[in-house]
Amino acid sequence: MRPENYEAQRQPPSHEYELNIGPNHPGIEGNYAFKLRLHGDRVLEGKADAGYLHRGFEKLMEGRLWIQNLAITPRICVPDPVPMEVSYCLAVEELCGLEIPERAQWLRVLQLELSRIAAHLFTFGGHAATTGMYSPMFWGIADRDLVLDLFEELTGGRVYHIYNIPGGVRRDAPDGFLDRVGSTLDYLDSRLPDYDNLLFTNQVFVHRAKGVGTMSREQALEWGVTGPNLRATGLEFDVRRDDPYLVYDDLDFDIPTEEAGDAWARTLVRRKELVQSIRIARQVIAALRSIDGPIRCPIPNPLAWNVPAGSVYTRVESSKGELAWYVVSNGSERPYRTHVRGPSQMHAVQVLEKLSVGCRLEDVAQTMFSLDACPPEVDR
Amino acid sequence: MTKDLSTWLDTLLSELQGIEVRRKSSRRIRVDVQPDALPALLELLRGRASYVHLSAISCVDWIEENEFELVYHVWSYEIGSLVSAHTRIARNPGVYISVYDIYTPAAFFERDIHEMFGVFFEGSPDMSKFILTEWDGPPPMRKDFDSEAWVNAHFDFQDYQPDWLTEIEAKGGGVAVRPDEQRFSRRDVDAS
Repeated sequence: MRPENYEAQRQPPSHEYELNIGPNHPGIEGNYAFKLRLHGDRVLEGKADAGYLHRGFEKLMEGRLWIQNLAITPRICVPDPVPMEVSYCLAVEELCGLEIPERAQWLRVLQLELSRIAAHLFTFGGHAATTGMYSPMFWGIADRDLVLDLFEELTGGRVYHIYNIPGGVRRDAPDGFLDRVGSTLDYLDSRLPDYDNLLFTNQVFVHRAKGVGTMSREQALEWGVTGPNLRATGLEFDVRRDDPYLVYDDLDFDIPTEEAGDAWARTLVRRKELVQSIRIARQVIAALRSIDGPIRCPIPNPLAWNVPAGSVYTRVESSKGELAWYVVSNGSERPYRTHVRGPSQMHAVQVLEKLSVGCRLEDVAQTMFSLDACPPEVDR
Repeated sequence: MTKDLSTWLDTLLSELQGIEVRRKSSRRIRVDVQPDALPALLELLRGRASYVHLSAISCVDWIEENEFELVYHVWSYEIGSLVSAHTRIARNPGVYISVYDIYTPAAFFERDIHEMFGVFFEGSPDMSKFILTEWDGPPPMRKDFDSEAWVNAHFDFQDYQPDWLTEIEAKGGGVAVRPDEQRFSRRDVDAS
């Protein structure tokens, strides 16, 4: 050893060190980094780093026509794109005073629920994979693909649908589509017991998920947590029921809750929501069979469409929580300002930073997946 | 929202001086308030009217009036209504008070607005950069920031001419719109 290093040798040994997870790591959702300060395998401090993902969607939207912005909206959250489209359309419709035809409203609800099923299956798989179980991930992705097939048939796109436009939807469901949705729902329904056997009664998963990342209802309310994460602490709140939009008033569904507020409870809430989404989708299919009529109300020429001046705040329930758009128009053909309140902005930054303190290293990724944080909504 | 609670809230808001209340629908209320009265309004809404959930803080740059508009969207789980409190501050120097002591989630939104619009919130716990860590330009979401001009002034386009493209072009095919013919090109810079 060279003499200049002797001094360092005499320092008392430190067990604290820093560790970066991400931005490219299987334990992190998306291009996101999480800087940890650890003592042994115990987390002392966690700092979220948004990294480089998509940048400046809100600024881009100020330079594009109202109709062109539809292509930007679903890209904000890739696993669950439909609520983004629908809520932006709802905002423009409210500013213009457009009345959406009933059939278009039901078609939108069908899409929203299918998107929710697809997003939840994705999150399950990811969460299971962080505890070392890859089978649920493969199953989840494979079953999700069946839903994407339905989207492809309905909209032409598997991930970015761009199917909603202000005033309604682009096209009606093709012949026999509702039957195929019904049979896919039957299949997904029959798969749920398999998921229970594979994941929810698996002792490894139960032991790893219970008691990890626990937050109380008071903490959840104080930190602004929404969606399934809030419902996992026992508060029965859902934008679809308590601040309804489209035709959610006419639908019959329950809001599943859990009391524990840990990673296990959050995943269990999503598992129960799958049942409710399938139930809603079946009601929508029955309704669509009996409702005829236009799928779009008359709209002005999209290339020279001036939206009346004003501002509107619309919010919907996405699979990750409360999603809202604040849209300001100054009466021109482009939005003056759009602001997205992404559902996982809170979960991915503040709540994750707080919940990871005191965690063990191996539980950090699990906490992130169980919170269902979607980084593109933060770095939008 | 029940009718009793609705009228009770209207009475509560009408007690305050210097604010203008408009009910847009049964669950949406717009309140315009002077900047010095906004923290008191939010404290009242949270404390007496159970508006415990801060849904978002939005910022709008009204450059012609030389003002920033800050909009605080708060939701009550019990009453089931959303209040949007609008206030306007001067664009210069663009300083306002943090509401972090009333709503914890405000820290994230204030940090975001500080980064994107340059509004400084006094008393906010963390005003450091979050997304634009290596950015030394002006706040990019301001209306007077021209992103196209910035890109043209700071970046060079690299020509991408692989062998396979050269072969295709020799046969008469290739790229339909050349980079220098595109909208986001350096043609203006190169001409000058």
